[in-house]
Amino acid sequence: MQDLKLKAADKRGIHQLGGDELVGWDEVTQGIILTSFEGDASNVAHLKAEERNYSDFNSYTATVASWRVQKPVFNIDVCIDCQNCWVWCPDTSIISRDKQMLGIDYDHCKGCEVCVEVCPTNPKSLLMFNEQEDLETALSQWPEKKKKEK
Amino acid sequence: MIEIRWHSRAGQGAVTGAKSLGDIVATTGKEVQAFALYGSAKRGAALRAYNRIDDKPIITHEKFMNPDYVLVIDPALAMTDDITMNDKETTKYIITTHMEKEDLIKEIPALQDKADRVFVVDCIQISLDTIGRSIPNAPMLGAFVKVSGMFELDYFLENMKRVLAKFPQKIIDGNMQAITRAYNEVK
Amino acid sequence: MAEKFDLNEREVWDGNYAASQALRQARVDVVAAYPITPSTPIVENYGAYVANGYIDGEFVMVESEHAAMSGCVGASAAGGRVATATSSQGFALMAEVLYQASGMRLPIVLTVVNRALASPLNVRGDHADMYLGRDSGWIQIDAFNAQEAYDLTLCAFKIGENHSVRLPVMVHQDGFITSHTAQNVYPLSDEKAYEFVGEIVPVDDMLDFSRPVTYGAQTEEDWHFEHKAKQHKALMDSRPVIDEVFAEFEKFTGRKYNRVEGYDMDDAEVVIVALGTTVETARVAAQELREEGIKAGVVGIRVFRPFPFDDVRDMLENAKSVAVLDRSSPGGAMGAFFNEVSAALYTTPNRPLVTNYIYGLGGRDFSVNEAKRIFMEQKANADAGHITTDIQQFSGLRGPHLGYFQTKRS
Repeated sequence: MQDLKLKAADKRGIHQLGGDELVGWDEVTQGIILTSFEGDASNVAHLKAEERNYSDFNSYTATVASWRVQKPVFNIDVCIDCQNCWVWCPDTSIISRDKQMLGIDYDHCKGCEVCVEVCPTNPKSLLMFNEQEDLETALSQWPEKKKKEK
Repeated sequence: MIEIRWHSRAGQGAVTGAKSLGDIVATTGKEVQAFALYGSAKRGAALRAYNRIDDKPIITHEKFMNPDYVLVIDPALAMTDDITMNDKETTKYIITTHMEKEDLIKEIPALQDKADRVFVVDCIQISLDTIGRSIPNAPMLGAFVKVSGMFELDYFLENMKRVLAKFPQKIIDGNMQAITRAYNEVK
Repeated sequence: MAEKFDLNEREVWDGNYAASQALRQARVDVVAAYPITPSTPIVENYGAYVANGYIDGEFVMVESEHAAMSGCVGASAAGGRVATATSSQGFALMAEVLYQASGMRLPIVLTVVNRALASPLNVRGDHADMYLGRDSGWIQIDAFNAQEAYDLTLCAFKIGENHSVRLPVMVHQDGFITSHTAQNVYPLSDEKAYEFVGEIVPVDDMLDFSRPVTYGAQTEEDWHFEHKAKQHKALMDSRPVIDEVFAEFEKFTGRKYNRVEGYDMDDAEVVIVALGTTVETARVAAQELREEGIKAGVVGIRVFRPFPFDDVRDMLENAKSVAVLDRSSPGGAMGAFFNEVSAALYTTPNRPLVTNYIYGLGGRDFSVNEAKRIFMEQKANADAGHITTDIQQFSGLRGPHLGYFQTKRS
């Protein structure tokens, strides 16, 4: 293992993808090879995402929140934990533990609405709201169960 | 430098013959080269193989040569191929044929004034008798050893055994007989 | 443990066999290959060594040369010592992945048996495939005979795997003229050869699960240029490492290699600059002409990439007339090799006369007599003080003379 001078190595935590200061040719990695974690990552598969020591190269440390115009809101009262949204989300932004749906990772969700599309409940457990809407207001506007039309 | 040109058909073993000769010559401390010019090689197609032998490393890579020896291991190629191409006044010819030397030379105009440098031996018949197949390369090596005087026959046979080591004993014995017979029969 | 392979101190090997023995002695872990004439026996022999227990390695059969190099990229990124062989059309199909391998800084060794590119279809040797690789970011080393094909293949691993280099390396030899010509070869013992090459110490290997890495990331205009610049610098900086490896090799064998080889160059006035077997054939011509009082010399380019711009210049700056021989169809330009040598010489005070010969395409024989004729044309240039022929000429071609451009200097 060798000491790699990583770009922006001092800037820990969430940063804007593509928005950081760019280093020169002398500081980029050899062969565009990017490490995912800082330090020994042997046990990383057994850790929860938020417990892992991600490197700055890992997209987990970058946020795309600003790409979003509308956001999905999750209603735990309607959800049946079917995991459909977790399976379909293209950005692994559905947070689920022990097959129980907990919420949305708003740092990485781009607002694509796929989770809403695939949600099978009636009413849906995920709905799109304006980005600035707070959770309480959104939940207070949740629609009623639709009656089957005869 | 001694230069040798083989005229053969693909499958008769000229390339193997040239490489075996190179291998054995190298054991005497000399530097060697062995290569071949194949066409789009199919069994039966005419081809030429070459040897160079020298006391110092051989650095020429030209295909062109003025051979000191021309070894013809297919009887028909003696008639149809240009076996005297780029030859010298001292070039020696060893030709495989069932014919008597005088009769053969009558058939090949280019050899008319070179009778004293032409040697004949029936490598095809010898290989059929000893190895059981028409592989005239080994007997040609025996004839070359005799005509060139480059080696004692026993030294050559011992080293040839090493070159053939991966073959069954029957094949090795056949090759030894073939080389010895051609050595004795070439004229 | 691998079986013992019996070697003699002196062997009679062709270039292909010599290269395959170097792969065995370097204990290559993985060969992914799609064999093609005339390089087939290199990977065929490696496969046989694996099958017969002479090496603990993996021979991966694939469906194309593109896949062969892709397999090598994967195995090398995983951390193994990796090699393969190709020629001509196979090299062309590999081309896309060659750039991937060098961009990812993977020290793969590719033994290239140079062969003409179709059309017309031709299995024989010229340098068209070698030239096709010249911008691919690989180190390109050129062997002039079978002994060198063996020696330089061993050196290639040690150069490419050096942690300050980390680049893939091609070892070129001329199709048939070297690959199928048996000659005396003096190999190292297995122990000595491996002691020289050494164990591979992988960097950023994907099989290191304690440190997962991403290979092949995308960049756009914000990063691409910086990465290519760094890669170019790695190639340029490999020059002293190559020199060190050659010096180390001399300690093991007594055989000394240089990035540019000069023969009879101390006082040479007329010079042939060439690649491959032609270097040695031209040396025979130079030695014969020296007996007639003509100060002839030969320069062979041992390391084609990184191109030894400064050494070429140092070697040739006192010559009077220089012939640069390109064994590749120039496709509507001066020969690429001529252009590179000329550019180096343009920055010298004396600026020797330089002309370009296109020769030997598709395996056309290059004879000692042809080399002599080229030397004599340089002699005429040197005597006249200006170029007396066309600047570019085809040599050894049937039919009327073909040449282009005349000098404006007199």
